[in-house]
Amino acid sequence: MGRLADVAVAGVYLTEQGNLSHRTQPSVWWEAVRGACADAGLTLGDIDGLVGDGPQDPGLRERMPAPGLAEQLGRPLRFHARSAVGAGSTAAGLNLAAYAIAHGLAEVVVIANAVAGHAAGYASANRDEAVAAMAKLSGPYEYVYGTTRVSDCAVMAMRHMYDYGTTSEQLAEIAVAQRHGATLHPLSVHGHRGELTVSDVVGSRLIADPLHLLDCCSINQGGGAIVVTSVANAAAAGRHAPVALLGYGEGHSHIDPNAVEKLTEFPAARSAADTAFTMAGVGRDEIDVAGIGDHFTIGVLLGLEDAGFCARGEGGAFVANGGTAIGGRLPTNTAGGFLSFSHAGLCGVFTLIEVVEQLRHEAGPRQVGGATLGFVSGVGGVQQAHSAAILGRA
Amino acid sequence: MSEYQKFLPEDIPDSQRPFWDSLQEHAVRVQRCDDCGTWRYIPKDLCPHCHSERATWTRISGRGEVYTYTVVRRAPTPAYQAEAPYVLAHVTMAEGFRMIASLTGTEPETVKIGMPVEVAYEDVTPEWTLLTFQPAS
Repeated sequence: MGRLADVAVAGVYLTEQGNLSHRTQPSVWWEAVRGACADAGLTLGDIDGLVGDGPQDPGLRERMPAPGLAEQLGRPLRFHARSAVGAGSTAAGLNLAAYAIAHGLAEVVVIANAVAGHAAGYASANRDEAVAAMAKLSGPYEYVYGTTRVSDCAVMAMRHMYDYGTTSEQLAEIAVAQRHGATLHPLSVHGHRGELTVSDVVGSRLIADPLHLLDCCSINQGGGAIVVTSVANAAAAGRHAPVALLGYGEGHSHIDPNAVEKLTEFPAARSAADTAFTMAGVGRDEIDVAGIGDHFTIGVLLGLEDAGFCARGEGGAFVANGGTAIGGRLPTNTAGGFLSFSHAGLCGVFTLIEVVEQLRHEAGPRQVGGATLGFVSGVGGVQQAHSAAILGRA
Repeated sequence: MSEYQKFLPEDIPDSQRPFWDSLQEHAVRVQRCDDCGTWRYIPKDLCPHCHSERATWTRISGRGEVYTYTVVRRAPTPAYQAEAPYVLAHVTMAEGFRMIASLTGTEPETVKIGMPVEVAYEDVTPEWTLLTFQPAS
């Protein structure tokens, strides 16, 4: 049996992001996977494992993606698994792929996210429809009162401000830093709108107090994929510096968003990060670049605190003055994140791909100088489920 | 009178009906563990403290204080949007657990963390009554 650290992200690919209603989920899925294989120096014929969704078949067949994918590839797949932590699924999926490879269950595993076409509900390109569909991610004890995903996170920000004096201007710094990264990424959804200032963010209309429009993620479509294989395979292909999974951890704590002791700290997120850092044998201060689930600016601030990059309550000071910007104390979501790069489906794949590009030293104008260790955390739902991964140049 | 357009509770298991029935009677009853006394809200099959399955639906005081809140300006559906801006309050009840409901009877600008509130009831349809919080009298 091998170690997780012998497993690497060998290939990555991003499709166009935005309104993909003119395309289909399978077309975006295949573009992403074909592209990620090529990036790894592999072909579609090398795939023998799948984590998560495949190119969608209609109806109930969607629940069994591996047989359908195998049929189209013309060879049996040896492994399929699915993680279920929402937007945190990509780090969790990377861990599943790494286990499969480390145990000899598969050699080349793909993980892809593809959202396109006239999908209904949360995958819709229509913002009103997506917002309405996502309202019922809460249970009836909450949604009857008109809660939204924004309101669920706004109450966290409100209490964090009360307890620690965090300000809207500090939260805005996160959006400003990420927008700058998006302006430097040609595939970002919002980079073309140009730079933001703190005044732009706090001057945008309130969605759910204290969160403003520009504290909130995009709602769009798009695709991306990663290919996972052994470090040895990745190195042999010689295309890029292999990026290994050095540590991983999860935490699952509550399903009703209010059923947790405090709405300003999430012990399951801390537990996930502690497990990952212990496994990797590295310290917080060694991390060069981070990808933290950012459906709303407050999510980044809480993610930084919960992962232990700063003390409880000090997230506001940490992100102030460009703390999460490229060149700051911990560059985070350097392509723009869900706020400014893309937010579609199991969007954690976008978070992960950016950290991989940073660790390969292929992030172009967004490059964090000398980045060798990266942290990725994913959040499922509204702080209910957490995954944390430490990645490093192999 | 127009039909109620906002979300009503769906898929409530029989085991949780006593809570909703209690709202119809305008008296909130919440599960309380028979073995260790822990309050269990939102209703659950097991006590998260001692894992007992035994509980009694017990009337609560209906009083609490605002733990946190938000003012929703962008609502999930047109029916909610028609009432925006509206306040959602997370309230620490006197018994120690938290409940979420709308907060009515005051302007959004006057809401503060720590303010005392009490439950009131909205009979939204013949079948369903929902909670709301109001400033404590």
